[in-house]
Amino acid sequence: MESEITKKFKSTEGSLFIPYISLGDPNYEDSKRWADAIIKGGGDILELGIPFSDPVADGPVIQRAFSRAFMNPFSLEKIFATTRSIKDANPSTPLVYLTYFNPIYHMGIEKFLSAANKAGVSGFIIPDLPFDSPESHELFSKASKYAIDLIHLVTPATEKSRIHKMKKNSSGFIYYVTSFGVTGERKDFSLDLEERIQYVRKDMGLPIAAGFGISTPDQAAKISKFSDGVIIGSSIQKIIEDHGSNLEICAEKLEIYCKSIRSAMR
Amino acid sequence: MNRTLYKQFDEGYFGEFGGRYAPEVLTEALEELERVYAKLKDNRKFKKQVDYYFKNYVNRPSLLMYAENLTRHWGGARVWLKREDLNHTGAHKINNTIGQALMARYMGKKRIIAETGAGQHGLATATVGAMFGFETVVYMGDVDLKRQELNAVKMKMMGATVRGVSAGEATLKEATSEAMRDWALNVKTTHYIVGSAIGPHPFPTIVRDFQSIIGKESRKQFKKSEGKLPDAVVACVGGGSNAIGMFYGFIGDKKVKLYGVEAGGRDKTPGNHSATISLGKPGFLHGTKTLIIQDENGQIVPAHSVSAGLDYPGVGPEHAHLASTGRVSYANVDDDDALSSFLEVCKIEGIIPALETAHAFSFAKKLAKDLGKKKDILICLSGRGDKDAAEVYRLLGDI
Ligand SMILES: Cc1ncc(COP(=O)(O)O)c(C=O)c1O
Repeated sequence: MESEITKKFKSTEGSLFIPYISLGDPNYEDSKRWADAIIKGGGDILELGIPFSDPVADGPVIQRAFSRAFMNPFSLEKIFATTRSIKDANPSTPLVYLTYFNPIYHMGIEKFLSAANKAGVSGFIIPDLPFDSPESHELFSKASKYAIDLIHLVTPATEKSRIHKMKKNSSGFIYYVTSFGVTGERKDFSLDLEERIQYVRKDMGLPIAAGFGISTPDQAAKISKFSDGVIIGSSIQKIIEDHGSNLEICAEKLEIYCKSIRSAMR
Repeated sequence: MNRTLYKQFDEGYFGEFGGRYAPEVLTEALEELERVYAKLKDNRKFKKQVDYYFKNYVNRPSLLMYAENLTRHWGGARVWLKREDLNHTGAHKINNTIGQALMARYMGKKRIIAETGAGQHGLATATVGAMFGFETVVYMGDVDLKRQELNAVKMKMMGATVRGVSAGEATLKEATSEAMRDWALNVKTTHYIVGSAIGPHPFPTIVRDFQSIIGKESRKQFKKSEGKLPDAVVACVGGGSNAIGMFYGFIGDKKVKLYGVEAGGRDKTPGNHSATISLGKPGFLHGTKTLIIQDENGQIVPAHSVSAGLDYPGVGPEHAHLASTGRVSYANVDDDDALSSFLEVCKIEGIIPALETAHAFSFAKKLAKDLGKKKDILICLSGRGDKDAAEVYRLLGDI
């Protein structure tokens, strides 16, 4: 079965814009509003972060978003319900969970897949679950039943032999990490970015979306020339951090920012 | 998850625990580390180097001491102490740090980083940083910086940068996360000296191997002195490095009972203890699958212990495995009992033990009674308590 994400890449001209928000920051209700604003601003696929107590792959901006989310009582039921209402309001936008593995494992892989599927999610990005782990294999083999993609990360340090092996249990797209380190804004990206992305695309036969550190329309424009998608997290989350206490103003700023990115991209 | 699935991915697993669950950006470095370690671990020259620094810098072999006074006072089994507190920098942490620093030098890394709770691992890292000429950065939770100020000052004196971490509970868990983030950013130039038998493969194996000197020496020393092996071996368990190092000397001796002692903290409710093995569930934290204190949503629950070195909500994956096979028994001791054992050992034996080790003493006291005379208990005295003196004084007042 072709997933929603695959269809989206096939049906969209040029590079997709994939924005990210952390669910529950500053509360679950407002998260829906941010999602609507971002999609209105031109987000093609939406990444939803599930707050985790120990986000080792995230920089300070997303860490702070998670801490704010935890000021409200956390429950996965609330996560799924919020996700469902975002999906209902934006049925043609594929949703992807960005989550650490422990909450999935704790709930049970099958149960989590089923709940995520009911909530309208069509992909997972799990930064601490390498493709060559037993659980990743199990997850991948079960996910296709729900048309949920398992999206893996490739970094500037990932060896070619590893990329080749990853092919076997990857779907949807590849998240190409543009710089070393954790999420957060950066000025420079690795030099051979274009070449690497072309290589990964050719070897794996999947669309490549680039992210980690992208924040300005200029950067998005440049990277969208050779990537199939541009992922932006921290600088969107920063807008929520700065303006999240004011629902209208924040939603407006998010929409304007996303429009500026979308129109800069090919 | 079935066990055969783990068998297929054998490398780095202890039963179903262990493995490598780190962000992709670290994989390359972890693989390099695995390759380098495979090469060095049986390399004569490297082993000689490690031995050299063990002898000439750490002061190994460390003493195996018969604790006459404790034996008399406790009125049960004979009590023996492996004196890791007499090592340079005052704890077992230096064993692993020397080994990993030599690996870092071999790999041509210029910078080393570490996480620390009690500060003993940070201190050991700052020490080898000074001696071998590495740029050194140590991450330490703000709460621990306060309760273990002396160690932070010592680290700075040796030229290390100490970075306070204010996120979350501001203790060892957050310091570990921050060190992993630093490593992700600087992975080409930097080696991360993980301080306990935790983290993604190959760290738990590397740390265990460098610490196994504790158990190997103990076994030899005990045999030489008594012509037999001890009946029971006791060690405290935070991440579990001193314990696994000690246990490894005896793991094949089925008659020797092995006991790991965790921190029972204030009570058994979430957030008030660090008894990961008795009260945790399987899960994933800091790059490894192990037992973890977590809530009903799979969020990690902060750990508590009166000793900064034990308050970690996870445990080394090999311990999780040893618990599941029953080879090692795990118990826990609460804050108050650890504090009174701390004082008891000071007053009776004239040794100030680390608060971490005080947990092992408290458990051993009961065990000594249960076992009765003529039996022998060996306790790993993992470190000295200078670092804890001020905190104990603050908690107990004039004693
Ligand atoms: C003296 C001492 N003992 C024990 C520990 C606990 O660590 P591990 O369980 O890795 O031995 C520490 C940690 O800082 C320590 O300083």
